[in-house]
Amino acid sequence: MTFFIQLVINGILTGGMYALMALAVVIVYKSSSVFNFAHGSLVALVSFVFWQLMVPWQMPIWLTLPLLIVFIAIVSILIQRLILQPLTGQSLMSAIMATIALGEVFNGAVVLFWPGPGRLLPKFVTSTTHRLGAVHLSSESLVSFLVCAVCFIVFLIFFHRTKFGLAMRGTAEDHTLAQSEGIRVSRVFVVSWFVAIAIAGVGGVLMGSLFGLSFEPLHGLGMKALAVVILGGLESILGALIGGIAIGVAEALASGFVDPLVGGGASDIVPYIVLLVALIFKPYGLFGYERIERV
Amino acid sequence: MKYKPCGTFDQTYEQDNALVRTRFRWAMLSALLVFIFVLFPCLAGDYLLDVAINIGITIIAVIGLQIIVGFTGQISLGHAAFMAVGAYVSAMLSFHLNWSFWIAFPVAALTSGLMGLLVSIPALRIRGFYIAVTTLVAHYIIMWSILHGGWVTGGLTGMSSHEVTIGGFSIGTERRYYFLTMVLTAAAIFLTVNLTRTKIGRAFVAVRDNDLAAEFMGINVFKTKVLAFFLSSVYAGVAGSLLAHYQGIITVEQFTLMDSIWMLGMIIIGGHSVLGAIMGVCFLKVLQQIILIVAPTIGQLVPSLAGSAVAGSMQLFFGAVIILFLVFEPRGLSHRWRLTWSIFDLWPFPY
Repeated sequence: MTFFIQLVINGILTGGMYALMALAVVIVYKSSSVFNFAHGSLVALVSFVFWQLMVPWQMPIWLTLPLLIVFIAIVSILIQRLILQPLTGQSLMSAIMATIALGEVFNGAVVLFWPGPGRLLPKFVTSTTHRLGAVHLSSESLVSFLVCAVCFIVFLIFFHRTKFGLAMRGTAEDHTLAQSEGIRVSRVFVVSWFVAIAIAGVGGVLMGSLFGLSFEPLHGLGMKALAVVILGGLESILGALIGGIAIGVAEALASGFVDPLVGGGASDIVPYIVLLVALIFKPYGLFGYERIERV
Repeated sequence: MKYKPCGTFDQTYEQDNALVRTRFRWAMLSALLVFIFVLFPCLAGDYLLDVAINIGITIIAVIGLQIIVGFTGQISLGHAAFMAVGAYVSAMLSFHLNWSFWIAFPVAALTSGLMGLLVSIPALRIRGFYIAVTTLVAHYIIMWSILHGGWVTGGLTGMSSHEVTIGGFSIGTERRYYFLTMVLTAAAIFLTVNLTRTKIGRAFVAVRDNDLAAEFMGINVFKTKVLAFFLSSVYAGVAGSLLAHYQGIITVEQFTLMDSIWMLGMIIIGGHSVLGAIMGVCFLKVLQQIILIVAPTIGQLVPSLAGSAVAGSMQLFFGAVIILFLVFEPRGLSHRWRLTWSIFDLWPFPY
């Protein structure tokens, strides 16, 4: 029983990270109806740029963060202006392939400029283990969960309490209607990409400081976010939260109970099996809108 | 849009239906066939033949993908996994049971097809984007099962397979395998071009253009989609089986998500037709060869990038090329090709 509770708590802590990553995908989808297959690549790209600034170039953190923000802003403007704006109104295939190809460009850049084995980021937390009854909690995963929670809440406040958040919600409802109310939709798109990439960076840096930076796990984190988003429903922020934690817990339970039976690796596949079941029984996700179409 | 050269009139039903209509086109086609089956294998060395075999195998796979993407309008991100099913079934039958290629090959194609059929069953309830995700999930599950299959699939070490023989005559060398591949590729092209002109092919296109409207016209949308996935996976299985017996050993690393994406990229670059699939494959494979030649030079100029120049720049250029095509020529090379030919066909009296 203790083992079970331990696994569930570990799962919730990892799930917080998944939920945050899923939030980034949901933000972009809500505002511009583009499903961001490049999220994993963005996680890798931003965290490697962060590493480049911090470690080889030895910049202090107060200089690194503004530079990183400028970098993210440039990337999000370029994505919107050069790729997604010309593709407005094109088929589903184009939209999907555009973000996949974008991901390939970023993957290529990461593999080209930062090849080889993993790199280490400075640790932001000293690793200690807390005991809560019979359950062990490592301070690192606790802190990363808290950071994710804070990011999530900050975004929610921004989304629901500020004027720009209102513009974003308006754009999510209907592009033409938002435009007629004087909202600059293209600017909303750029900002939602900016937020999404920044969130990707937060996730990548947290994960990098915990486990070291290497391309595969960072990319995998982003890809799992896709599973979370589809499980939770494409347009739903609540769905991202619940889906993230559900997938985190499912993964932890699989690694605890199924791995000994099949000889390891079950946690890699469980998110996708959960997703497959969800697709069969509830195709639009737990909290997604069902689309009704007319010919 | 199919133009006939200026002044060519159809007087019989057969003429109207002909795939190759004029003498000039017959001459061009014959020249191409002579080049592929006589001239090229006589002149080319083993390396070029290897590239050509790879192009041929990829053409078969991409034409299969084209049935889903170009004709039926669904998106499959799991095509490489279906190829893997074909390759592994073929190799396992050859390795464990000592079956000859000629029995293992159809069984592999059929198994792969059934796998595609299974994956497409959720298509009853979902469409578009969600089908793409289902195939993505299928990719992960299939590749995971192969990787954790133990001695049955060989796991990380991969699976080896026997040489192909025809009645004691071994097809082990590049030159001999080249003919096998090209014959099958030509057959795949011929079959698919004709498939688009049958009732099934037209049903695919109707589902692509609007599935609700297609349903009102009496097409069983679910059956059509499942059939498209089945056929497409059969092609993938054929390609996978060919690849397995050509290389002699296959591993899971040869069938990654990247490969599925490359195949989708080939369709974007080529355009949504059989011709487009062929052109896209040739374009990307040639680009790949150019990068293989040029990238080490970049590595020499900038030593810090030497280790990763090939892998990194391959992905970088691939992504960039696809984005450029999406933005500037979304209908692909084959559209541009047709436009160019129609100028010659209509000359001297454009109407």
